[in-house]
Amino acid sequence: MNKWENKEVAFFGKITAGITHEMKNVLAIIRESSGLMEDIMSISPEAVISYQEKFQNSLVKIKNQIKRGVELTNRLNKFAHSSDEALSKIDLHETIEQLIAISQRFARLKNVVLKIAPPNQSVQPTTLVTRPVQLQMALFAAIECCLNAMTAGGIINIGLDKSKEKYAVRVICEGDLPGKSEFVDNLSAFEKWPVLQKIAAFLEGSVELDEFAHGIVLFLPEQLRS
Amino acid sequence: MKILLVDDEEEFVTTLAERLELRGIHALVATDGEAALDLIETDPPQIVILDVIMPGLGGLEVLKRIKAQSPQTPVILLTGRGSTKEGIEGMQLGAADYLMKPINIEELIKKIQVSIKNQA
Repeated sequence: MNKWENKEVAFFGKITAGITHEMKNVLAIIRESSGLMEDIMSISPEAVISYQEKFQNSLVKIKNQIKRGVELTNRLNKFAHSSDEALSKIDLHETIEQLIAISQRFARLKNVVLKIAPPNQSVQPTTLVTRPVQLQMALFAAIECCLNAMTAGGIINIGLDKSKEKYAVRVICEGDLPGKSEFVDNLSAFEKWPVLQKIAAFLEGSVELDEFAHGIVLFLPEQLRS
Repeated sequence: MKILLVDDEEEFVTTLAERLELRGIHALVATDGEAALDLIETDPPQIVILDVIMPGLGGLEVLKRIKAQSPQTPVILLTGRGSTKEGIEGMQLGAADYLMKPINIEELIKKIQVSIKNQA
């Protein structure tokens, strides 16, 4: 990325992070207000006796949605802060987990579930020094390629391996899939495939089709040279 | 028990104060750092619950001044970030503990009790 693109990413990151702080305040006010309603109901239940069940059900829904909102806001906040440093030491497993959480909606539109395999003990620790924004772009492009190549429904399972000083991120499709050659054709004809190759190269890594399964393997160095 | 809540989000802090009052905790409220420091001087609380990100005097600066003005008063920080970075930074500056927003009131009360006990 050139200097201008870096600044653009940093700008979007900064504004998004600022908004997530505001959203947390909004959620905090809703939480305290619904909490106050609950408190009042518990000390004087007779005041709302004819609607008590409806009130309680609504409060449970509000609580659940606050929980969902907080989780999404925390994820978005972390995502926004990933542009703070152009190059940084990150946990790859944690980054995959984070990206999966914020990409679920895109998968859900195709009835696909994104999953992460627990890290293999031999891969621990899963840290690497890289460009966090581009790494997330590469992971997202790999997910998009798989979503495009598979039919609706199924699972995309993301696992992590390491050999020598290189990580291998395996993005594997499972479910009712087209034949391997059709899958490969779909994947390589998709506009995001060359994009993924370029980002992988920018991260001093590479991307390949998985030899044995329907999927992609993204190779990444433990530490960037430049 | 008398505590001081400091947060620039007035609706948040006044509602939280009401909920604490229902639990027998008298909560004073300040919506900026300067007002908080004034209250600590005129009507000292047993503990301060302090938001980190506020306009004007930021929470960490207010924390430093509280520690200079009234070192025995424990401070619990409220942080807005998804990470624990600000909380840890605050504890290095003398905060007793921290909580991430939106908070759980029972957890807050527990931390208040522990911090006051540890201070005694």
